[in-house]
Amino acid sequence: MGNTWVALKGMLEYMGLDVVVPPPSSKHTLNLGVQHAPEFACLPLKINLGNFIEAKQLGADTILMAGGVGPCRFGLYGQLEKEILVDMGYEYESLMIEPPDVSVWQFIKRVKRIVGPVSWWRVIQGIRFGYHKACLVDELEKLVQEIRPREYVQGTADKIFAHSLLTIDRAKNIPDLYDAFGLAKQKLLHIPQDTTKPVLKIGLVGEIYTLLEPFASLDIEKKLGYLGAHVTRSLYLSEWIESHLLIGIFRRKAKISFCDFANPFLNHFVGGHGQETIGAAASFALQGYEGIVQVAPLTCMPEIVAHTIFPRVSEYYGIPILTIYVDEQSGEAGIGTRLEAFVDLLQRKVESKTQCG
Amino acid sequence: MTKRIGIPRGLLFYNFFLLWSSFFESLGMEVISTAETNKGILDKGASKVVDEACLPVKVFYGHVAELAERELDYIFVPRMVSIEKGAYICPKIIGIPDMVKANITAKPAYLAPNLNMREKESHDQFLKEIAANMGKPLIQVQKAWRSAMKVQQKYELDLLQGIYPEKVFLKRETLEHNGDLNILLLGHEYNLYDDYINMGIRKKLKQMGCNLMTVNQVPKYVQQLESRVLSRRMFWTYGKSLLGTARYFRELPGSKGVILLTSFGCGIDSIVGNMIIRYLGKMKIPYLNITLDEHTGEAGINTRIEAFIDLLRWRRELDEDNISTYGKYLGSPQRYAGIYGS
Repeated sequence: MGNTWVALKGMLEYMGLDVVVPPPSSKHTLNLGVQHAPEFACLPLKINLGNFIEAKQLGADTILMAGGVGPCRFGLYGQLEKEILVDMGYEYESLMIEPPDVSVWQFIKRVKRIVGPVSWWRVIQGIRFGYHKACLVDELEKLVQEIRPREYVQGTADKIFAHSLLTIDRAKNIPDLYDAFGLAKQKLLHIPQDTTKPVLKIGLVGEIYTLLEPFASLDIEKKLGYLGAHVTRSLYLSEWIESHLLIGIFRRKAKISFCDFANPFLNHFVGGHGQETIGAAASFALQGYEGIVQVAPLTCMPEIVAHTIFPRVSEYYGIPILTIYVDEQSGEAGIGTRLEAFVDLLQRKVESKTQCG
Repeated sequence: MTKRIGIPRGLLFYNFFLLWSSFFESLGMEVISTAETNKGILDKGASKVVDEACLPVKVFYGHVAELAERELDYIFVPRMVSIEKGAYICPKIIGIPDMVKANITAKPAYLAPNLNMREKESHDQFLKEIAANMGKPLIQVQKAWRSAMKVQQKYELDLLQGIYPEKVFLKRETLEHNGDLNILLLGHEYNLYDDYINMGIRKKLKQMGCNLMTVNQVPKYVQQLESRVLSRRMFWTYGKSLLGTARYFRELPGSKGVILLTSFGCGIDSIVGNMIIRYLGKMKIPYLNITLDEHTGEAGINTRIEAFIDLLRWRRELDEDNISTYGKYLGSPQRYAGIYGS
């Protein structure tokens, strides 16, 4: 899932495990997944299954899979994937990590069962290290999002970011990690930029997997960046870890809860990130963003609920919203055209506003 | 003056209509329900909701749109988060009051109390919200609810004995079944009992000489027990009953087949349906998976059902001696625990 592997690999290697990172999701991964997954399952399941099959071919023997307690389908992914893999004849040992909705100790115990004879201290340090990596990667990514529409040579920031991911991945302890991070940040800040260029601000909301995994969303974020928009996502990995996994451990409160903003429109949790999607759109609108783009896998239940309610949000705040569903049939050109048209529309809107007053 | 409340004939209507109607009637209200689904209602609904929503949601929208034009005091669109401990219903059903409010402006007010029994099995919060909304004393509401629950229990018993909802509350005759094939018709109640959505599949099957069985004809505790084979808890109430029923059905004697009715884009069916299909495949029970959407042509369904029934009859001739020696339910979760892994 996007850059998640950097953090997870960091965490598990710190605990002394051998980690097999499947190759980045590609057309091949998706084809493997589509072949074996149920037809109406959502895109993340298909890609995920493809990843597992590819990892098996690289020699992995244990699956680490997150679980959930509903009502989104994601909670049963682990179960179904296991059955599919068994039917295909792959012997995997699978382990589920569930969000600690019952107790923190249960979560730590589960991690402990995965890592085996490693001291508790090491486990906690490992989680902390992984979390640090996630935070730093996200900080770099935010910087990249800011630079993308302004850089003179398109793609420079992305190249530097891709390289710095590798250096961050190589860091085995916290000082090394900060060195790698500092170097990457310096490099990014030295990219020649056109600071006078007017830049649109677009909020990207939607389902977590399609937000974080560029392959699933066909690089929507990058495309918008190159079209001249400063894109901010409603979800970053570190924030997600903080709000879903660490809240229990550090007893920390999430800084901003998007759910608060969803209030008049959607008053109840609908599973997945449905309520966050609505809340994030409302809060982006309040922060003066010019437009919102929602991405979700086709047939995603919570996002359909959010999509249905969006007309009301759009009307109330006067902000254009574009919804894009992705599945294995999505074509690059089609999405490119829709995004271009949307950005054009936003630019016109901004221009007409500045001319009138 | 008696107040009038409208209950749309969609989604959980076939599960809880009697409960709700007798509840509101004993509160002294007049209960209005919409006509059975027809093309006009579906078109009206489909034009108001995003294309990606599933067929039952579109039908529900159509019924709400019908009610929105009438002279009523309330439209009852409850938010059914959970009807049992540790389980949900479906994200779309949780979101439906907000979805409807966002897309349909109605003359009557929406009455949308939350029913959430995930943490604690109690109706108190639900009843309090209704009482506050209608300005009635809580005691009276609770009393009405208790008497309505009795009606609901009676209704569930009726369903268990194989009486269909339309006979119970429409007083309409249904075809008797005394066929030679046992067919399990698996699907959510809003697909099973809405003859417009499923294109009268029950009638067709009975005319072809099939004994029908539905999820409502298997006791809840059997479903619960059978669905425990999963290593993870199934957190959808209706997903659980589908899986449990399918597993129970394999124990029944005689020649049999399973027809799985799913609506296009149903998230629950995409996962649970696939588990069931994998399971039936291993058990060598023939199944037919029919996906419903607003474009399905009736001829296509007819052909597929006929072919399936022919296949079952043909199969039976091949192995006539394949009769269960038990003839009764012997299932236990321990016995089959190996099938899904632990």
